[in-house]
Amino acid sequence: MIPVTVLTGFLGSGKTTLLGKLLKSPAFARTAVIINEFGEVGLDHDLIETGDESFITLQTGCLCCTIRGDLVLTLADVLRRRDEGTVTPFDRVVIETSGLADPAPILHAVMSDDALAERLTLSGVVTTVDAVNGAATLARQPESIKQVAVADRLVLTKTDLVDETPAALSDRLAALNPSAPVLPASFGDIDPARLFDARIWDPSGKLAPAEEPHEHHAEHDRNRHDERITCFALIREQPIPAVALTLFLEVLAEHCGADLLRLKGIVAIAESPERPAVIHGVQHMFHAPAFLERWPSEDRRSRLVLIARDLPCAFAEALLDAIEAEVRETQSSR
Amino acid sequence: MTDDTVELVHRLLAASLDAWHVDGRVEREADHITITAGEHSLLIARGAPPFRWTVTLAGRERGVTSIAGLLRTVRRVVDPDHQASRLRIAPSPLVPS
Repeated sequence: MIPVTVLTGFLGSGKTTLLGKLLKSPAFARTAVIINEFGEVGLDHDLIETGDESFITLQTGCLCCTIRGDLVLTLADVLRRRDEGTVTPFDRVVIETSGLADPAPILHAVMSDDALAERLTLSGVVTTVDAVNGAATLARQPESIKQVAVADRLVLTKTDLVDETPAALSDRLAALNPSAPVLPASFGDIDPARLFDARIWDPSGKLAPAEEPHEHHAEHDRNRHDERITCFALIREQPIPAVALTLFLEVLAEHCGADLLRLKGIVAIAESPERPAVIHGVQHMFHAPAFLERWPSEDRRSRLVLIARDLPCAFAEALLDAIEAEVRETQSSR
Repeated sequence: MTDDTVELVHRLLAASLDAWHVDGRVEREADHITITAGEHSLLIARGAPPFRWTVTLAGRERGVTSIAGLLRTVRRVVDPDHQASRLRIAPSPLVPS
């Protein structure tokens, strides 16, 4: 399977600089890059030099709005060209979104196409955040909030321009996506392995305790600023019956759907307590659970991280509690 | 069905109205739960097998077999404009970890 990484981040946050540096690294050779630019005339692809073994394909228009189908066609096309030997037999794909893109529909496109699924697999989302302007961008641009919310890795760019990361930005990133490590990068310099060999579930990632939506100290136009996005974790000491987990995800999808921006977790399944299940979903679309060979650490609790809009933690907690109780009752009455 | 489960469902229904942005009240009585939202009043009680719950609305009782079905039934009444999504499982696997 060829891993696909989605590189996103708001306009001017340093995606192209980062990509340009990465593509010069030998460790990042044999990469197919799909760059999406908003507007009729693309420019970014001309700003990036690649090594001999990597190449760039350009799309224009906004991936998330109008040409999601085109993304699927483009991915199919680069695979065909790889098979024909007309391009480098690349080992990974990077999709650089336009700075205005909502990443969720792009992730859906990659995850949901049957033909692509036989050869490509989503390996993660990397989001660039500008250390200088990031806090202001998050306050003004709802798209940037979603870009941060769905990330597996956050890359703090332009760190050479600040003495230290502004506290307001650090707090905001931690509130929006506490499970994503924040990696500093100056002029795009960063170890590729820290970004693109990342697993979707990183057991070293931080988990927020279950919490009510965080407080905001300033007066805001909530709709405009989209500060209704919250992140919280559900933690269970006892293994969860498989059917309870399935029902929980089904009900969440049914009632929260588009507002469930991201769910990822490691779960102790009652029927398979020695092999934890890794689950990962974007809105109502989930991967089938992947069972690890063993627990990655001593911590054997089930931990589900949810990033959602307008979803109170209390609802998710109460839902899982009630479904677990119902399933256990049903099982004990047999 | 234990009292604990009824209490958990009571808590879930109250949290659900909040999550769905529906103004209403959820009250637990001795043997049932009442939801009052707008012009609607729903009575939720334990059901006889194969139903786990009954939902009574305007004198008509219907059985539901699970908490998932209970929430679906309640939401159709108190939040009729909601468009449910269905869980989809992606054909592509997770990256082997």
